Amino acid sequence: MVQQNASKESGGFILFFLIGLVGALAVGWLLFPALLYSEKQQPIAFNHKAHVENAGMACEDCHSYRENGSFAGLPTTEQCAECHMDVTGGETPGEKEIDRFVTEYVQAGKQVDWLVYQYQPDNVYFSHIAHDGFACAECHPDVGNSEVPPSLYRNRITGYSKNTMKMWQCERCHAQLETSNGCQVCHK
Amino acid sequence: MSVQREFHTKWGMVIDLDKCTGCGACMVACQVENNIAPTPDASDMTRVLTWMLVYKLENKQKFPNYDVAYLPRPCMQCENPSCVPVCPVVATTKDEEGGIVSQIYPRCIGCRYCMAACPYHVRYFNWFDPQWPAGMEKTLTPFSSTRPRGVVEKCHFCHHRFMAAKEKARATGGEPMKLAEDAYIPACVEACPTGALIFGNLKDPTHQVAKLSHSKNAKRLLERLGGKPQVYYMSKRQWVLDMLDNDLGDGSHGGVTGGGNHG
Amino acid sequence: MGRRAFIGLVVGGTAGTLLTPIPWKLTDDASIWSQNWPWIPRVPNGDFELKPSLSKLDNSGVGVNVVTVKGRPCAVYGNPEHPLSRGGISSLAVNEAELLYSPSRVQSPLKREGDSLIPISWDDAKALLAEKLKAAGSDVACVSGDDTGSGTDVFSAFVAAAGSKLCFYMPAEQVDAGRAWQRLGGQGMVGYDIENADMVLAIGADIFESWGTHVRNAQAFNKANPMGGEQAMRVVYASPIKNRGAAVADAWVPVLPGSEAALALGIAYHLIQGGATSGGPGFEAFRSAVRSGYSPEKVQQATGLTPEQVADLAKRLASAKRPLVIAGSSFGQGGGQNAVAAGLALNLLLGRLNKAGGIYALPEAPAVVQGSMPRRQILANDFVDYMLKVGAEQTKAPAVLLAYEANPAYALPQTELMAQALDKVGFLVSFSSFMDETAAMADLVLPTPLVMERTEDMYTPYGSGWVNYTVATPVIAPVFDAVPAADVLLQVASGLGHNLGFESFEDVVKAKAEALNAMGGFAAGAKAEPWKVRVGGGAPSSSGVSDAVQAGKAWVSMATVNASGLSLAKAAAGQAAAPAGGEFPLVLAPLFELNVGSSKVAIPPHNVSTIRDTEAANGHFFVRMNSATASKYGTGQGKQVTIASKTGSIKARVSIDEGVMDGVVAAPLGFGHTAWDKFAQNKGDNVSKVLTVASEPGVAAPFWAGSMVKIA
Repeated sequence: MVQQNASKESGGFILFFLIGLVGALAVGWLLFPALLYSEKQQPIAFNHKAHVENAGMACEDCHSYRENGSFAGLPTTEQCAECHMDVTGGETPGEKEIDRFVTEYVQAGKQVDWLVYQYQPDNVYFSHIAHDGFACAECHPDVGNSEVPPSLYRNRITGYSKNTMKMWQCERCHAQLETSNGCQVCHK
Repeated sequence: MSVQREFHTKWGMVIDLDKCTGCGACMVACQVENNIAPTPDASDMTRVLTWMLVYKLENKQKFPNYDVAYLPRPCMQCENPSCVPVCPVVATTKDEEGGIVSQIYPRCIGCRYCMAACPYHVRYFNWFDPQWPAGMEKTLTPFSSTRPRGVVEKCHFCHHRFMAAKEKARATGGEPMKLAEDAYIPACVEACPTGALIFGNLKDPTHQVAKLSHSKNAKRLLERLGGKPQVYYMSKRQWVLDMLDNDLGDGSHGGVTGGGNHG
Repeated sequence: MGRRAFIGLVVGGTAGTLLTPIPWKLTDDASIWSQNWPWIPRVPNGDFELKPSLSKLDNSGVGVNVVTVKGRPCAVYGNPEHPLSRGGISSLAVNEAELLYSPSRVQSPLKREGDSLIPISWDDAKALLAEKLKAAGSDVACVSGDDTGSGTDVFSAFVAAAGSKLCFYMPAEQVDAGRAWQRLGGQGMVGYDIENADMVLAIGADIFESWGTHVRNAQAFNKANPMGGEQAMRVVYASPIKNRGAAVADAWVPVLPGSEAALALGIAYHLIQGGATSGGPGFEAFRSAVRSGYSPEKVQQATGLTPEQVADLAKRLASAKRPLVIAGSSFGQGGGQNAVAAGLALNLLLGRLNKAGGIYALPEAPAVVQGSMPRRQILANDFVDYMLKVGAEQTKAPAVLLAYEANPAYALPQTELMAQALDKVGFLVSFSSFMDETAAMADLVLPTPLVMERTEDMYTPYGSGWVNYTVATPVIAPVFDAVPAADVLLQVASGLGHNLGFESFEDVVKAKAEALNAMGGFAAGAKAEPWKVRVGGGAPSSSGVSDAVQAGKAWVSMATVNASGLSLAKAAAGQAAAPAGGEFPLVLAPLFELNVGSSKVAIPPHNVSTIRDTEAANGHFFVRMNSATASKYGTGQGKQVTIASKTGSIKARVSIDEGVMDGVVAAPLGFGHTAWDKFAQNKGDNVSKVLTVASEPGVAAPFWAGSMVKIA
């Protein structure tokens, strides 16, 4: 009886251990990430591919440096309006999106609150021009080849994008290239 | 003791105490540039953040032999800093070309060992969260993140201007690691109406500071402590130079940084 | 479920969790979250620009570059291209961006109702102003704290159109200096070519802190005294206290406040003995007046300096190649005309008129606003004199008083009496950016934008060695509901049927720029430096005023006016006399230190930390005296005292300062604000309260340098 009980209970232990293990793994790997990040879409479904392939534009036509070498980041509505000043009146989804941009932003004189996939906090200083030798997609998601901009996953705790580069990634690359990892090289 | 690192570039300041009127423009320019929140009352100077602080030195003579000098005090950016080795979390380092002693706010745990170690009182602890009068936070500059209560902060020679100068050099085909004398100037130096502060690379013989730091009238604050500051003071007045050693007037030296009125 | 099964589930769950990102990611995220406390403000990011503007918070007249991020001002730098800044900036001007959001900003028009001021709309405010002005008819006066902008022209034209002559400047150094220049027969305004001088003797005038174009003066000193280089300019400073200017001067000469004229004329005595002559009219009269009234003995009594010390100053001046004498009040006001006139006389004796490093007669700004009063006419009115008479009921208080960029309720001498006189005004209108003491007692407060939020101009601030004109255009739209004062007045004027010739202030400024073209000049810059052009170095190509000022540059002209009418006849008025002791045995030496504000602006938030704990702490402030004076009057370091004069008293603590002359109490202006905000309030007392107005000898105009006090 004692023996029987023992074997029965030990069998129960392993079973429930496995149930707990698998359940926790499922929660941790599947449910947790889904819960941790909120999914957000860009306010305008900007088609990078159409601009690069059809209009023959280069990344730096819109994402340029200022005269003082600082990186201007995302273009302003005024810059976009240099080409898209009027509604197209077209019927394709792309043309409709352009028209929405023109009416809601250009004509309203508003800036688009573009979501930045790799937003860094205030205490980080990053110089694009110092990293000019690298291809954009070595650090950024390859949006240049996308027809629809990817969703942005925002961490509900930290408020950061899932794509935000972490300090260890910066440090590893700097170490490999024997560039300074001095604290204030990247912090302000 | 930490192992002293040598750098090709050593940013330094030379301050002419015979040219400083003590007007305070450097102090205010610093606060504005580096997002230091204003304080309604400065009675307790240990609670006020003054990365740049102008001390008043007096020769302790009676009228009419009395003399006065004003001493602007940024962080000395010591070659051999006493604050760095005591930091238990490596939140302050001297690890970058230029020799500026860094302070990383998010990493700081607020133990204040560095403050105790610094003989120049250049380090400040945030006893309170920074607060701006309603709306004034809209005038924050992009140059420095704001610091929460519980961390230590200090002058970093407007390090962001160093970074900006390097960016500009890269954009205009210059040499980022060999900046011209006027390419990088901290806010206090820029603001000074009498030009009492000058700035540059102490190791670049074409920079004025390199020459002036070897002048016979140039001296560093509390040299005997061996911190080897990258800030030099100049004066033609012997009593002023003596005061930099905290000379007590009888040939002896005080154990604390007295002499000037704090604040 | 059995116990073992439960334990199995928990252990399995724990083991599984450890193999997932949950604990590690949560720990990491929590630490990242902790680095970005959401209650600490974030800093901006985006387009970074420098936009030219102007600071008028003090007299320095510095052109500034405003740092904007996404169009929003966040810092202000001295403009290296502006000849009055050359990159330097004062401890007040550096606050311009932050002051946009000063807690003291007036956020909308306010109307008095009983004891409180209540917000009203601009339409109601203008209607109320128009109604009161209409009812007042010609019984209207205005006081302006700005003598360089065209805004004052609009005010004076308005007052004149209403049929009144009562337009005043707030007391200031430039007011006394303007009158002194006129007394000597000078046309236009006097200019000082500091950059080209090899020796500057400043008598009273604190040239690096408060006098004239002080940032430019400091830069001239800076460039002429390169670190470790050849010294090209020596500065000798005579003042009652070894203050900031004295700390960097090559020599300091302690001289009693109020005796600046006596010192200058004492020096003139020695120069004349040495054979100096002006070669111009009035010299004989001057010589006899100096010989009889300013003999070395009399000067010693008045100044406290020995004849040898005075003779030494004369010798230094005579042996310098390009000496320049700048005389004025040691605290930027109340010094009267005699000191300035005596200083000008020294320059004439030294042959420094129209000479490099000397003085020049500069033209006044052309009048463009129809009916505006010329500077000369406004200088003939004295606001202190007028208010004294109003207070004594010798003159009827005006039905309407317009205060423009002026805070008379705080900054006039005998402040409490003056505030009572202001109280008698029928309807007090304060055009002010800040809720200052005058706004707080006004019947109508009309918020003006700061310079950064409006169009503003500046013509040749006092001290400039050459004509200069700078225009600021708005860097940002007003952050509160503020409208430029001149625009309000132009609108109200047209409603009342007064034609001032303009619809908007912007047009006034355009017209002024147009009118200035006749003088001929150039856009100043690092390669077009006025002081070099003055001595014939590389004349830059001429430039239209509008083009220059639109590019954010200062427009500069070397134009001068005829100075042949200058006469020394009236340059030595009165007699040197020792301070009258009696009941009030101590001479008060007010200190004007810009970091604690000016007569226009109280201590800005970021300046509080520049105040030493030996200057103000825990609600009180310190007056300074040397140890001999302190022990003579039974007080000492840290002791509380009441400083009393005939007209008021202040409470303070004593700070022993051996840089103060015997028998002198030095006291900083700028404290004791009752309006404004928590940054300016609860700090000491207002020294203006104990300034006592006397009649200046030989001039019979108000004068309050050398006020006498006692320790009560």
